[in-house]
Amino acid sequence: MGELLREFVEGSLALLLRVFVIVVPVMVLLELFEGSRPFRAMVRSWSRLVGRWLGMREEAAAPTLIGLLFGLAYAGGVIVRDTRRHNLGRRQVFQMSVFLSMVHAIVEDSVIFISLGASVLWVVVYRAVWAALVTVILGAVAGATVRWRGRRQADDR
Amino acid sequence: MPAETDNDAAPPGRRDRLRRDVVLGLKAGVSTFWLLARFMIPAYGVTLVLERLGVIETLAKATAPVMSLLGLPGEAALPLVVGYVLNIYAAVGAMQALSLSATQITVLAIAILIGHNLIIEGAVLHRAGMNGFAFGVMRAVAGLAAAAVANLLMGVF
Repeated sequence: MGELLREFVEGSLALLLRVFVIVVPVMVLLELFEGSRPFRAMVRSWSRLVGRWLGMREEAAAPTLIGLLFGLAYAGGVIVRDTRRHNLGRRQVFQMSVFLSMVHAIVEDSVIFISLGASVLWVVVYRAVWAALVTVILGAVAGATVRWRGRRQADDR
Repeated sequence: MPAETDNDAAPPGRRDRLRRDVVLGLKAGVSTFWLLARFMIPAYGVTLVLERLGVIETLAKATAPVMSLLGLPGEAALPLVVGYVLNIYAAVGAMQALSLSATQITVLAIAILIGHNLIIEGAVLHRAGMNGFAFGVMRAVAGLAAAAVANLLMGVF
C-alpha cells in the first residue's frame, strides 16, 4: 500500500512537472504569435487552402481557423454565427464540423501528448492531413447523396 | 528625460501588447495545466489501483486482439475509452500508469486526439445543427483507423 502511494505521488509529480514545463511556454508563444504579422499572413493562406483543398467557401475559413487554434467549444459559437451571417449552406457546416471534430485546439491538445513523448510530426501534421482527407471524402459523399436524392425526387414528380 | 519619452511615444502599444499577450498566454497555460491536473491525477491514481487489483489485466486480455491491430497492448484500451467518455486529460493520466513505448504513445495519442470527449463535444456539434451521436461514432472510427495506418507507416519508416 505504501509502495503504491509512493508510486502515485512520484508519478503524479513527474507528470505535472513535464506537462507544466511544456504547456505553459507554448501557450505564451501561441498568444504572442496571434498578434503578429505572420499570423495575418497565415489567415490569408488558410482561406485559400480551405477553398482549394477542402472545397469550402472562403467564409468558412474564419470558423475553421478559430476552431483549429482555440477549440471546438469556441468554434461552435462562431460556426453558428457565421452560418447566419454569410448564409452558409448545410454542406459547409457539415464539412466544417467534420474537420473540426477531428482537429481542434491543435496546439493545446497536441502539446499535452507531446509532453508525454508523442512525436510532433505524427500528432500534428499527420493528424491534420488525415482530418482533411476524411473531410474531403465525407464532403464528396454528402454531396453525391444530396444530388442522388434530388434526382430521385425529380423522377418521382 | 526626453530619450525615455521618445521611447515610450514611438511604440506605445507594442510593449503593452507584448506584456498583455504574455499575461494572457500564462493565464491560458496555467488554466490548461489546472484542468489537466484535476482530471489527470485522479485518473492516474484510479488506473494504478485498478492495475493492482488485476482489473486492467482482465480488460487487456479481452481487448488484446483489437488493440494489436494498432500495435498496442490490450491495456491501452483503458485510456482510449477514458478519453472517449471523459477527456484527453483523464486519458493522459491513465496512460501514465501504463508502460508504453514512444511509438505506442504516438499511436495512442493519434487515436485519442481524433476521438475524445465525445459526449460534451457531441453536444457542441448538436448546437451547430449536426448529429452529435453520428459524429461521435465517426470520430472514434476515424481515430482508430488513423492510428492503425500510422502504426503501419511507422513500421515502414
